[in-house]
Amino acid sequence: MQRSEPAAGSIYDLGYRRYEGPRLGRRHAFAALYWHSLRSAFGMGRRASSKVIPIGLAVLTLIPAVIQLGIAAIAANVVEVYTAWNYYGFIQVTLSLFCAAVAPELVGRDQRTHTLSLYFSRSLLRSDYALAKLAAFTTAFLLLTVGPQTVLFVGNAFAGNDTMEYIRDNWRDIPRVLVTATAISSLFASLGLAIAAQTPRRAYSTGAIVFAFSVMWVVGQVVVQATDETYGRFALLLSPLHVIRGTVLWVFDVSPERGSTLALADFDLAVYGLACAAAIGVGVLVLLRRYERISA
Amino acid sequence: MAGMPLVETSELTKRYPGVTALDALSVRLEPGIIGLVGANGAGKSTLIKILLGLLQPTSGSATVLGFDALRQGAQLRQFVGYMPEHDCLPTDMTATDFVGHMAQINGLPHAAARERTAETLRHVGLFEERYREMRGYSTGMKQRVKLAQALVHDPRLMLLDEPTNGLDPAGRDEMLDLVRRTGTEFGIAIIMSSHLLGEIERVCDHLMVIESGRLVQSAAVATFTERTQVLAVEVESRAEDLVAQLVQAGIEATCEGRTALVRVEDDRPYDLIRDAVVELGVGLVRMERRRQSLEDLFRDPRTKEADRAAV
Repeated sequence: MQRSEPAAGSIYDLGYRRYEGPRLGRRHAFAALYWHSLRSAFGMGRRASSKVIPIGLAVLTLIPAVIQLGIAAIAANVVEVYTAWNYYGFIQVTLSLFCAAVAPELVGRDQRTHTLSLYFSRSLLRSDYALAKLAAFTTAFLLLTVGPQTVLFVGNAFAGNDTMEYIRDNWRDIPRVLVTATAISSLFASLGLAIAAQTPRRAYSTGAIVFAFSVMWVVGQVVVQATDETYGRFALLLSPLHVIRGTVLWVFDVSPERGSTLALADFDLAVYGLACAAAIGVGVLVLLRRYERISA
Repeated sequence: MAGMPLVETSELTKRYPGVTALDALSVRLEPGIIGLVGANGAGKSTLIKILLGLLQPTSGSATVLGFDALRQGAQLRQFVGYMPEHDCLPTDMTATDFVGHMAQINGLPHAAARERTAETLRHVGLFEERYREMRGYSTGMKQRVKLAQALVHDPRLMLLDEPTNGLDPAGRDEMLDLVRRTGTEFGIAIIMSSHLLGEIERVCDHLMVIESGRLVQSAAVATFTERTQVLAVEVESRAEDLVAQLVQAGIEATCEGRTALVRVEDDRPYDLIRDAVVELGVGLVRMERRRQSLEDLFRDPRTKEADRAAV
């Protein structure tokens, strides 16, 4: 059987041409996967029903900021219910739910549909895949944390009588918000993906993530509040939401409320910062290791 | 590219605990449409994954398109398209979105990816359906999308693992035709695995047979079939006697009911058949040239004996 040289005419007729353009390689592939994953974190490029939960939760994170602005409009700079440092406490449940709902979508789906082998048969490395997903998920959380904080800050600045004065008094919140938002986003993203990547089954990973955040929070509360265990306080370092709380207080240089769990545990607040960094590190390592070994 | 082999493996071995998937496989393949045949578990998928640089062999080496598959996997894969045997499509995306995304993962810029996606989907025969979610696709349409994602970046080599898997006869014909056209008209080298020799024969110009991870045969399909032109001579009776006479004259022939199967390498047997038929005084019903299929070859008595010995 002879192989004929491709004739230009017949190729044109079939609508097929050789591709002579640039091949941008791994970095472009990484960027493409990052963007695709960030969009799919909010259900973009999918049917409308996939957008309801992630976008609904994103809107929920804004509600405290909007309420505060409503209060500020009536009584400017008098009543501050929601401030930069305590804001995360009010949206931590929403953030946990977002994590539990979206992480299985980002990493479980490609396993469920066996699409991973198509990614790995391209120039992406396995670690590129994992890191692009992590970067996308972290960005999604940054939108959910920096977003409402920005609304709050800008709103407060314009609600008061003197915008410049508000900025002069509160500008330190800007770097603090950026640092805490990055830490929180990285923590949610790395733990969420590290858990969700272990199984293609959506229900299992959603359950495991809910467990990691809420059940560990309850355990931490109970152990510290209700027992006199000397070493019980270390349970708090295994509860991501307590670690987040402690890290935020540390960065904003605020003491825990008297009688609160964090006050009872009486750690130096920097310990929470360290625990946060350690948890992110563990999450990333577990994620990378999973993708090194997963068969595709 | 001239003179460079498409694929060259040397002593390629892959062992899993308790199983040897590939056993010191050395083969050199030139560009073309190559059929990879073997029973289930013969090591076809393992070989394909090693050639993609996805799986590290236990020992040995593999060079594909001039790249070392073990060390230069990422560079190599820019120029390779892979169609896996299993389902691999996200059902809640449209074919256009999915193939476009995969083209970008291949390194094509956004605009080029969109353009190539439209062209490629048209080439594989997906038209209006490509804007619909893939959950409603038939197996045939899914296979087309799988082929399209392997072709969208204009690879130099496509590795197709059982491309006709799960298709009905009509879909199978269309897929084989598509593979053949892609290989011949666009000059893309193809390695296609299958456990059906008939498919390989229709599409491929080179055949590679593996069994339990070992190379059994690697040669042009034409050399398998041309060598074995067979003339079927149907007579009214006494076919056995006809065969006996031909064999006596030094011609290879066998008897199958009322038909004598005669191997023809030149024109000599025709005269002998005519003379023998006249001499025996039997009625000649029909003479027809039969191109032996690959399946017949592998049903050769020698292989049968080998099979029995193996059992």
